[in-house]
Amino acid sequence: MIGKLKVYADRMSQPCRAVLIFCRLNGIDFEEIKVDISKRHHLSLEFTEVNPLQKVPAILHGNLNLFESHAILVYLSSAFPGIADHWYPTDVFKRAKVNSVLDWHHSNLRYGEVNYVSNTVLGPALGRPRNPKAAAEAETVLLSSLSKLENIWLNGDGRFLLGSFQPSIADLSLVCELTQLEVLDETDRSRILSPYKKVLGWIEDTRTATNPHFEEMHNILYRAKKKFQQQRSRIAESGTETSNKMGRHSKM
Amino acid sequence: MKLKVYADRMSQPSRAILIFCKVNGIDFEEIHIELSKRQQLSPEFQAINPFKKVPAIVDGRFNLFERYPADVSRKAKIHAVLDWHHLNLRRGAAGFVLNTVLAPLLGLPLNKEAAAEAEKVLTSSLSTIENIWLKGDGQYLLGGFRPSIADLSLVCEIMQLQLLDEKEHDRILGPHKKVQTWIASTRNATKPHFDEVHNVLYKLKLRLSLKQSSQADGERKSGIKGPIISKM
Repeated sequence: MIGKLKVYADRMSQPCRAVLIFCRLNGIDFEEIKVDISKRHHLSLEFTEVNPLQKVPAILHGNLNLFESHAILVYLSSAFPGIADHWYPTDVFKRAKVNSVLDWHHSNLRYGEVNYVSNTVLGPALGRPRNPKAAAEAETVLLSSLSKLENIWLNGDGRFLLGSFQPSIADLSLVCELTQLEVLDETDRSRILSPYKKVLGWIEDTRTATNPHFEEMHNILYRAKKKFQQQRSRIAESGTETSNKMGRHSKM
Repeated sequence: MKLKVYADRMSQPSRAILIFCKVNGIDFEEIHIELSKRQQLSPEFQAINPFKKVPAIVDGRFNLFERYPADVSRKAKIHAVLDWHHLNLRRGAAGFVLNTVLAPLLGLPLNKEAAAEAEKVLTSSLSTIENIWLKGDGQYLLGGFRPSIADLSLVCEIMQLQLLDEKEHDRILGPHKKVQTWIASTRNATKPHFDEVHNVLYKLKLRLSLKQSSQADGERKSGIKGPIISKM
């Protein structure tokens, strides 16, 4: 009998949240092992044995160690009994389409989002200098990706990606990515997302379809969001930027 | 309806699909979409792939745009390599070749900063392949004894480095012995289709190296060094 599934995760990481939500939603029995990126746990010898690429999420299931969140989601869909078909359809055509969104995601939505947030909020919080050029480049990719979601991927009769009536692992992965934008300042986040009405509706629909697990797994992100907001107000009040202070007080 | 594959053989992922189809005796029609002539931007092609990228296929009722072991764990590991590939090897290799060799051909400015960044990602990715993905008993990725779609996809990506001049190519690939052996194994396992599909690339490589030597001759004769921009 295969041992219990172990999921190595940091809930501040978007792909980790997608895997955790998927497991909870589908009643998969697993042990969550916290790997705190901000404390560099991912670089430890123990974790490197689980994932030599030193990234989360990673899983251990019996003899299998696996990393890359999409590969994990696909594996879990196939390896556990009773998972509803809409998550990763067995129909070859439908499955291929889900795969194409998952492929597109890496260099588009994820790339844009990660680099934008990193160069405007998360990087400075970790004491790194702001990089307006990189932020501008990332924003271009992010906006282009949102536009493609709005006009191409969300075309169709259903409310989910590829016109589906129920969410797939692609919906879960991409919406977890977009939720990371919560750490931006409200004006900025609104500016970026508000033109995309379908995208906004889809984020809500995916959250609803995966609650209460979605909200639970995002709690740490909402807390971080609050901290960043407080820091921003303090800076606004004091009128100066104190990057050292941010670094020490940051939960990141 | 026969499978249609829309491809440009100058595109690494297009080559992977074509080789896969040929090796596996899949009956298909290859439709050439010439990127250098911007054919991917045509309304007809946009109807096939609204993202205007190659490769794309049309199979039966559906448009699809982006040999598989049955064993779930092995399949999962192959997915992991395919996932890793996008922002690692592909980003590094394509970025480096674009910003050192291809940009002038496409009328784009050379971007030294982007080239340096891409080289970092490329070198790191080759190291990861050498030390992690090629670990195991077999000569293929994940210790496999036979190639998977991951081997095909990644090797086609690395082949784009053929466009670099010999010194650059050797400097970048030279340190990675396992990688070199693996490229040769994959090429061997998929012949003659591998080389046939790569012909376009080999022809361009030849043209580029001829240009490079005549450039060097010209510089020697005139005693004047050519502009930095022209690597050809």
